Amino acid sequence: MQDRLIGGVRCSEVLAHLSDYVDADLDAATTERVENHLLGCPNCEHFGKNFGSMVASLRNESNTPEAIQADAISRMLSQIYQLGADS
Amino acid sequence: MGRPIRIMAGVTWPSLVWLDLLSSHLRGFHMLDRQSQDLAAFDHQLISRTANGDRRAFEQIVSRHATAVFRLAKVVTGDAAAAEDVMQKTFLAAYRSASTCGSDASVRTWLLAIARNTAQQLQAKQGREVPAEEPLLNLGLDAGWGSGDPETIAIAAAHKDNLDKALSTLCAEDQEVLILRDMEGLRGSEAAEVVGLGEQAFNTRLHRARLRLAGALRGAPPLDGVVQEGGA
Repeated sequence: MQDRLIGGVRCSEVLAHLSDYVDADLDAATTERVENHLLGCPNCEHFGKNFGSMVASLRNESNTPEAIQADAISRMLSQIYQLGADS
Repeated sequence: MGRPIRIMAGVTWPSLVWLDLLSSHLRGFHMLDRQSQDLAAFDHQLISRTANGDRRAFEQIVSRHATAVFRLAKVVTGDAAAAEDVMQKTFLAAYRSASTCGSDASVRTWLLAIARNTAQQLQAKQGREVPAEEPLLNLGLDAGWGSGDPETIAIAAAHKDNLDKALSTLCAEDQEVLILRDMEGLRGSEAAEVVGLGEQAFNTRLHRARLRLAGALRGAPPLDGVVQEGGA
């Protein structure tokens, strides 16, 4: 992987900033520099696109509930009320 | 904070449509953030009522946050039965000390911090697995940065089974930051508070965890029936 300087930013810097970029946590100036790099660097653009898609899939995964048995919750609440009353 | 994504005036960059699409997705995520602020205010009402002995309010708290608490506890302990134990200890502590939940932190952040501490105490004798500090460039290369096939990670991540398997190969430290920030949707500052890090250190850990996840997805064999782009 060639570490190219495009838009005033090197590929390695874009790699380092990618999560902050996806999370919109970069300041405006850095965001613009990263975008200018992405516009001129197919490698980083291609990777960034797929990295962003992966993060989006992970966020969608949050809609999948963990399998907690309903009776486990009921049992837990009974024990909590008993222990809570003992405290 | 970042400005809205834009395409440079007068220039056509069809390959960068993803920037707008991703931006739309993230705006949606941040809108969910705002909706969650309303829910967070409701949580504070519930915890306040719990402090006054209202069991129905407490049961609503449990119903709303049991999944998040259990998911984090399972990652930290590595065991579903231990995670149930942690979940009970967490909600017992919350029930007994509801009046101490401050208004600054969200109830979810407060519960997850209790859960993480409780799970870590259970794990204390076994120690914590700390990922090696690999150079970022190596993590990027493993994730497909600069390769001809970075779409592999997006294709694999779109399938829940692949994503679950790849997540399970990561160490607990990596899994917990991904769960807190991406799956539970905590803000960076909240997630950092749960794991006891500064926000910048948390973001660094999150980025490394995402790259390791991408590497795991890239290295995973495709599931039956999943056809690669351009494949038969």
